[in-house]
Amino acid sequence: MNLLELRAVDKFFGANHVLRGLDLDIEDGATVAILGPSGSGKSTLVRCINCLEKIQAGTITVGDTVIEPRGVRRGEHTLSARAIAKYRSSVGMVFQNFNLFPHMTTLANVIEAPIGVAKRPRAEVVAEALELLEKVNLADKADAYPATLSGGQQQRVAIVRSLMMQPRLMLFDEPTSALDPELTGEVLRVIRDLAIGGRTSIIVTHELEFAREVATKIVFMAEGRVVEQGPPEMVLDAPREQRTREFLRGFK
Amino acid sequence: MSLERLAFLVWEYRDAFAAGVLITIQLSILGMLISLAGGLVLCLAGLSPTRILRWPASLLVEFFRNTPILVQVVWVHFALPELIGVKFSAFTSSVIALAMQSSGYLAEEYRAGIESIDRGQFEAAQSLGMTYPRLMRRIIIPQAAMRMLPGILNQFVTCFKSTSIVSVIAVPDLMYHAGLIVSATFLPMPIYTIVALMYFVMVLLVSWLVNVLARRLPSYSQFVRRPEAA
Repeated sequence: MNLLELRAVDKFFGANHVLRGLDLDIEDGATVAILGPSGSGKSTLVRCINCLEKIQAGTITVGDTVIEPRGVRRGEHTLSARAIAKYRSSVGMVFQNFNLFPHMTTLANVIEAPIGVAKRPRAEVVAEALELLEKVNLADKADAYPATLSGGQQQRVAIVRSLMMQPRLMLFDEPTSALDPELTGEVLRVIRDLAIGGRTSIIVTHELEFAREVATKIVFMAEGRVVEQGPPEMVLDAPREQRTREFLRGFK
Repeated sequence: MSLERLAFLVWEYRDAFAAGVLITIQLSILGMLISLAGGLVLCLAGLSPTRILRWPASLLVEFFRNTPILVQVVWVHFALPELIGVKFSAFTSSVIALAMQSSGYLAEEYRAGIESIDRGQFEAAQSLGMTYPRLMRRIIIPQAAMRMLPGILNQFVTCFKSTSIVSVIAVPDLMYHAGLIVSATFLPMPIYTIVALMYFVMVLLVSWLVNVLARRLPSYSQFVRRPEAA
């Protein structure tokens, strides 16, 4: 069964046509890696799924939520701003630049939304947060401010922050692109061991080996369209499309 | 005119000077307190996604900022009562006018602070499911507040100095009392010099006090990247 269906999605930034009639299905429980040259619309695609960007044509269906150019609806019922916020809380997002809240400690960053948005009891949330921070080896940084953490540590906190909302869908927008090469490993490990775990995930990445290891499906995008998709061994090792071959050759 | 003579004048009219200083301080503190809240309301309404909030707010901000304080004081005291049918005391009119002017400037100050916050902060907060009011209150405004502090201090000093205009509607502030003393003594040079020095010293004191307080705020140092960052 598909958790996510994109149909004929168009996205413009001014005159720039970023997504061009994009179609894509993602099965419930799948781990999808999106590859493609920069400017191919990969990041824009995940941002549209999260309603951080509006689309100009087509539909994006996530479970029973339908995102359209004129708004978001469930059945015939158009969602209010509050309901859209609630929808967003069910979709986790990890950004390239971490975007931790600099005025809050690690722990405060992580418990802010579960307490303030999901209205869960504080004691329970704190216990869960400390447990997750322990799992990403940051228990000793619970009281540290983001500015004192390395990029890799910040990104691990950001992943924990998203997971705390128990999303059914996780979006990763180039989670290691802003990191020094020696720090990407620790972040990729956390994504693999903690974040994916049977949860539907979409990862925009340039890490081919990581994609091969974790993805159940690879989607190759170029010029705002899906060029090729399939299991990793197919797309990475025996690509059918010329455009895919050219892109992969650039990594060797 | 010797220093002794100046000191004597200050002493001679100490009650009048003190009464004037008190009114000046009351006016500026009241005007500033009201505009700290009023400016925030105007700013948030001006940034709101809702057009019916945004338009009137922007109009008010522009009106408050682009009319002279003297005109505002006179307008509030003599024109506004005829429009709304409520008459204010001269003191109340002055507080309203000062709060209007400062609200306009503070709204702009707040807006600049909020717009200086990285878009990623809005997006991270949104993606965690925060509604607009919550993300403003919990994420954006606390960060922006730190950057607004110098601007707010500046506005406080401006507001303090602007109070000297209210003597035109006979509010007995420092400037008004100075006028009375000059009429009684025919000594404009020393009296107005004393008054200028008094304003000067009070502004210095206020700046110094706010700086000390700002540095003591526990959150003031949190954004600074510590040198031992790993």
